[in-house]
Amino acid sequence: MSHIALQDIAKSFGPVRVLDGCSVAVNKGTVMTLLGPSGCGKTTLLRTLAGFVEPDGGRVVVGGRDITDLPPNRRQVGYVFQSYALFPHLDVAANVAYGLRVRRVGQAETQARVRKALDLVSLSAFADRYPARLSGGQQQRVAIARALVLEPEVLLLDEPFNALDAKLRLSMQIELRKLIERVGITSIFVTHDQQEAMTLSDRVAVMRAGRIEQVGAPIDIYDRPRTAYVAAFIGRANVLPIDIRGGRVAIDPAIAAARADGAAWLVVRPENLAIENAGEGPGWHGTVAFATPQGATIEYEIAISLAEPLRVVALRKVGEPPAAVGSPVRVRAIDPAACVVLEEGPDGV
Amino acid sequence: MSSAPLLRRILHGRGIWPAVPALAYLFVFLALPMLTLLAFGFVTIDRGRIVADTWTLGYLKAALADDLVWRLMWRSFWVAAVSSVLTLLLAYPVAYLFAEAKGIWRTLILVAVVSPLLTSALVRAYAWIVILGGRRGLVNQTLLSLGLIEQPLRILNTDWAVLIGMTQIHLPFMILPLLAVLAERDRRLEEASLNLGASQTGTFFRVVVPMSVPAIFAGLALVFAVSYTNFIVPQLLGGGSYSTLAVQVYEQTIVVLDWTRGAVLATILLSTCFAFVLAIVAFGNRLARWNEAAA
Ligand SMILES: Nc1ncnc2c1ncn2[C@@H]1O[C@H](COP(=O)(O)OP(=O)(O)OP(=O)(O)O)[C@@H](O)[C@H]1O
Ligand SMILES: [Mg+2]
Repeated sequence: MSHIALQDIAKSFGPVRVLDGCSVAVNKGTVMTLLGPSGCGKTTLLRTLAGFVEPDGGRVVVGGRDITDLPPNRRQVGYVFQSYALFPHLDVAANVAYGLRVRRVGQAETQARVRKALDLVSLSAFADRYPARLSGGQQQRVAIARALVLEPEVLLLDEPFNALDAKLRLSMQIELRKLIERVGITSIFVTHDQQEAMTLSDRVAVMRAGRIEQVGAPIDIYDRPRTAYVAAFIGRANVLPIDIRGGRVAIDPAIAAARADGAAWLVVRPENLAIENAGEGPGWHGTVAFATPQGATIEYEIAISLAEPLRVVALRKVGEPPAAVGSPVRVRAIDPAACVVLEEGPDGV
Repeated sequence: MSSAPLLRRILHGRGIWPAVPALAYLFVFLALPMLTLLAFGFVTIDRGRIVADTWTLGYLKAALADDLVWRLMWRSFWVAAVSSVLTLLLAYPVAYLFAEAKGIWRTLILVAVVSPLLTSALVRAYAWIVILGGRRGLVNQTLLSLGLIEQPLRILNTDWAVLIGMTQIHLPFMILPLLAVLAERDRRLEEASLNLGASQTGTFFRVVVPMSVPAIFAGLALVFAVSYTNFIVPQLLGGGSYSTLAVQVYEQTIVVLDWTRGAVLATILLSTCFAFVLAIVAFGNRLARWNEAAA
């Protein structure tokens, strides 16, 4: 039984339908990530769960209890705002203590819990600073500490790490993950960063224009995207128009397609493509347009007869020069089983 | 020759230079006349002429030794202080309502707040005489005809009338700074407070009010200053024998024509007003230390 269930949430702002029958279910103690482009309704969905947005339709259920009509201050849902929303008139310690003071927790316990929370986000040295004197990343950590100190059963985080540098981001991700597991917090977490989604979450929900396009374990979504949109959003992907003949992809019959004959689309990850010598044979024929050595790998762009070039990522071997720009090549899928055949292409073509 | 670089500095310079014309204007038309006026308190004036070489602190010392002056100052002070607080209590709900209102309602509230400023304070004071005055005044007539009182209340010519008049007349000076701050405030903070478990009321007193402390004290300082130095309202609503420091400045200068005493009292009035306003501002800044960090 899922701990958080958003059922068929609809919300319009004036004529704009921001949430359009959006359903998400999160199991107790797990982390769900909402991924999606700017403006697709991620924040609005979280705000609905926190009680700041009254949905036009649908139910919000937490722990088996319908809280759709409960005011925000009685929901016990921790929220880390995208804009931090720290109280400028309170110093860091008082910001973190706010929820405890409201609950009339004793002075000694409040102090101890605030200290622990600040330790967790490595901000103990800043306890008596006002938020205006903190960097963006420090403010973000105060916002996280302020929510965590109440040990909520449900925690919502709206892009909580976007102001942090790479190193701090990783350590915060790990700390948060540990804490979530230890306390058993059920969380929903918004990010633009699909790497972060992979690291931090048990399940990922890809959003598109107010709806959930696909939900699943991060790797499942990566391996088996249901639409071209999802494929392009999680990791990089080549989405290619193909013809199917006799249950096989015409251009490379090694790839099976359990579909009727006709036009379709193929999703191939760049690392699942290999460059072979030009010449007759199955695969995509083209010329090398760009070759960029990246350290462990080389990224190629292969110009083929389509508008978009093919992207190929190959392992680099020391001392071996990359394929020369301009040389004719043939590209084939390494693992035909890892390719995904779709009915619809990008933008529902 | 030498004026060219000066002109260029004024037009294109940095720092204080662009303000030089305004400062010069203020010096000539505000500071100089005021200093001249105050200086009258430190010389002897005989039949409208300043007697040479009579600089003295004697008049000031005499005024400070006068019990009456201290009693007048005390009344000026408490009337201004109480009316500032009353103004705040009345202004806050209006400003809050404005911040919550939308579209046409906002415009209506703003017009209602600002339009009294377009009529003179004198006219408004007279209006209060009509409302509060005698048996035929609006208040007494209403209460009498409703049978709530047997005898007309004596409001006009008391402290009450002065307080009521001052509070109403100076209300816009309190509402305007509050309006700006409350309307522009970041509502996310209130959402954060609710999310952390505070009630609507708790959020109001823990977040909204503290955040408006700078505006509250700006308004208090403004209203205190104009109330402390107002001589029209105490004269008209307090009655003939009602006096404050400001009323005395007016009477000595305009009625009695004792310019020296008028100037001495004006010096006392202005310097104490300045001190009180500084104290209010300093206290406000202490309460809103976070605001310095944000600036
Ligand atoms: N209070 C509001 N009034 C009107 N429109 C709103 C309101 N809140 C959100 N919107 C609109 O709803 C849409 C979705 O907004 P939302 O903030 O949920 O997007 P998001 O997915 O969080 O985007 P981002 O990644 O940029 O934060 C946007 O088009 C936005 O303009
Ligand atoms: Mg958002």
